[in-house]
Amino acid sequence: MSNFPIVLKGFSAAIGDRKLFDIDDFAPEQGSSTAIVGRTGVGKSVLLRALAGLLPADPFILKGSMRLYDIDAYKNGRKTSLRSWRSVMAKGLVFVPAESSQSLTPALTLEQNLRLLAPDSRELVERRLREYFRIEFADFSRFYPDEVSGGELQRITLMILLSRKGDIVYLDEPTVSLDRELRVRFIELLNSEFLGGKGKTVLAASHDLDFVRALKMDNIVALEDGSLKKMGGVPESAAFAKRETEDKGEPGIALRSLTQRYTVRGIFGEKEFRAFENLNIAFHRSRIYGITGPSGCGKTSMTRAILRLIDGTSGRIELDGSELISLKSDERGGDPKAFRPFRRKMTIVQQDSRYAFFPDLRIRDSFRQIEAARALSGGRDRRRGRRGNDSLEAYMKKVELSPSLLEAYPRSLSSGEMKRMDIARALAAKPEVLLLDEPFAHIDFATRSIVMRAISDYMAENDSILIVVTHEDFDLKYFVETGIDFLSLSGPSASLKERVRS
Amino acid sequence: MKKLSRISALALALALASPLVAAWLPLGGTGLFAQLAPDYRAAWFASFRQLSITLAATLAFASAITIGLGYLSIYSRAGGKAIAGLLEAVESVPSILIALFCYAPVSGYLARHAAASSSMVSLMVFIFAATLTTLPEAVRGISIPLGELYYRKYSLSFRSYGFRKGRILDILMRSREMRDALKRTCSLILLKTLVLDCSFGFIIQLGFGSYGTPAHASPGALIAAHRDALFQGGQPLLFWLPAIPLATISLALLIMLGDKKGYAE
Repeated sequence: MSNFPIVLKGFSAAIGDRKLFDIDDFAPEQGSSTAIVGRTGVGKSVLLRALAGLLPADPFILKGSMRLYDIDAYKNGRKTSLRSWRSVMAKGLVFVPAESSQSLTPALTLEQNLRLLAPDSRELVERRLREYFRIEFADFSRFYPDEVSGGELQRITLMILLSRKGDIVYLDEPTVSLDRELRVRFIELLNSEFLGGKGKTVLAASHDLDFVRALKMDNIVALEDGSLKKMGGVPESAAFAKRETEDKGEPGIALRSLTQRYTVRGIFGEKEFRAFENLNIAFHRSRIYGITGPSGCGKTSMTRAILRLIDGTSGRIELDGSELISLKSDERGGDPKAFRPFRRKMTIVQQDSRYAFFPDLRIRDSFRQIEAARALSGGRDRRRGRRGNDSLEAYMKKVELSPSLLEAYPRSLSSGEMKRMDIARALAAKPEVLLLDEPFAHIDFATRSIVMRAISDYMAENDSILIVVTHEDFDLKYFVETGIDFLSLSGPSASLKERVRS
Repeated sequence: MKKLSRISALALALALASPLVAAWLPLGGTGLFAQLAPDYRAAWFASFRQLSITLAATLAFASAITIGLGYLSIYSRAGGKAIAGLLEAVESVPSILIALFCYAPVSGYLARHAAASSSMVSLMVFIFAATLTTLPEAVRGISIPLGELYYRKYSLSFRSYGFRKGRILDILMRSREMRDALKRTCSLILLKTLVLDCSFGFIIQLGFGSYGTPAHASPGALIAAHRDALFQGGQPLLFWLPAIPLATISLALLIMLGDKKGYAE
């Protein structure tokens, strides 16, 4: 085998007329590590997915050639034979996608997923989980992916994917959903077992410059203007000065003795756990609250409980003099009439914005349906359609998205573009309660500043309540006005304490 | 290029399934058929005609029920559990036995009545039995991808916008992913019905001979009737004439079943 396991020649990708990249010549040396940095939407993930052979034919147009382990993988923009790719896969490819927890098959238990994805690597997975994430795989092996918390699933999936056999390793924004603590441990793992002369050829795409800086990377390249440019070092991340909001001390939303229960399947039937217990806090209007805490501590559950989208909530959620749990105690696939005005007042930007719009509708058509549903929920302003559209376009401009993307389908937008589109959608809804769950994870620092400015402008102009779930230092430093450690708010149950300790 | 290969695959599948259409054309006095005994010729045409009716009717009946049950199983968790339990029970019984059980209540009627009405009742019973046996896998073929789309992807966002569950499911049911799933499920229904039809016809022929009930004309019965033709000095053509079309029809359905979303070529 030559000394260059990955060779790209004249390799380009486009979506319709929109060119993503055109790489003349790229061939990292065997055993070297390369970080690919660049703004969101430039095509970093597309490049890695093409290198992993996972790029869907629709809507991408590929050109040029690619060789992996000296085997032709793409010729003239076309994937070569199944036999060639089987040979590549037999030599081993490790690919960790941005939303790694989606990689597991929901119909299989974690044990079965491990046997499917990384056969013969059980010991390695167990050791790495124990050593770096302090998790015993045996405790979770019989559960299905939906039955473990997001944080646990994320750690287990990362280790399963990273423990697959192969000397070529692709990491696509691997830290987007990791909390601060986990990110430190993940960096330790990469530095000690993958980087710095371990024989693996690593390509890591990330917009998280702090993460790239902490890794023992041999080369840094930037994907800019459609081509790869070698850089001397990691660029500095830009600071951001936001427009200050005026806290008038107006009451917003109050959580009183809030407890969230959920059930997990056990050997002897279902067992009840508590995501959080006895949560007490009041969020004022015109103030940006940042909720931090380790993965799995219940932050996301709190946002879903406020939105009344999950069962098992007890206590009180007070908004505008009404108690929301009594208005809607159970999630039965629809909102009771008394709750609908509150649905209109609240909106969320979730961690994963890929599913914020319907899959086969253009963004504009999805947005029309969303506006219609919200209007029906609120029982007012039913003719908002045209104005809603204008408002969306205005916010799209604020987050630097081209209005032409309204005619695009969700699958042709990058994860960063989808995230910004989702944020524009949320702001265009003019909510009184805006919940953002890891809203900036897919966005590079430069774009993040632009998005933060759009949100803080909205907050300065509206007496809204903004709660941001985040673990990013950048967000806490430049955006959040009141940082709250989630664990300090509630008395977590014994089982939760135990899990959080790990 | 991808479109061209899909069109070619579809054309090939249609060509392979053409015996089902040929059975309805006046080909009795032409080519190979002209050399066959009139009884055999009539049986060949009758069995393939009946097979095409069975496949079309089962497809229409089973796919309508499948879409309804698949939707309901996600719309209502309690309904979904009840449906899953029921279908698991059905699946635990071999298909042939289900078909035989379905014939039990009408066996007396079939024995007492003339060939025309007996054949009609037999056909209806068989379509019912085929629908019953295909449902467990077919409903899973719809409910699993629909559940995946709803629970893992779209429910939280769209419920937070104020959409009702039914409305979200309506839109997801029309998505490309679900249309692909439905297409694969239809192929699966046809393939399972074809296998059941032929194996049932084969067993009935072996068990009851040409005078037995139920009155189920099938290419499988023709194969059973001429199963010794290959080795016992009979006419091998009588065996191959139903066997080869059956193989091509099965291949056509497999091509349609294997047609998945394309990846970058």
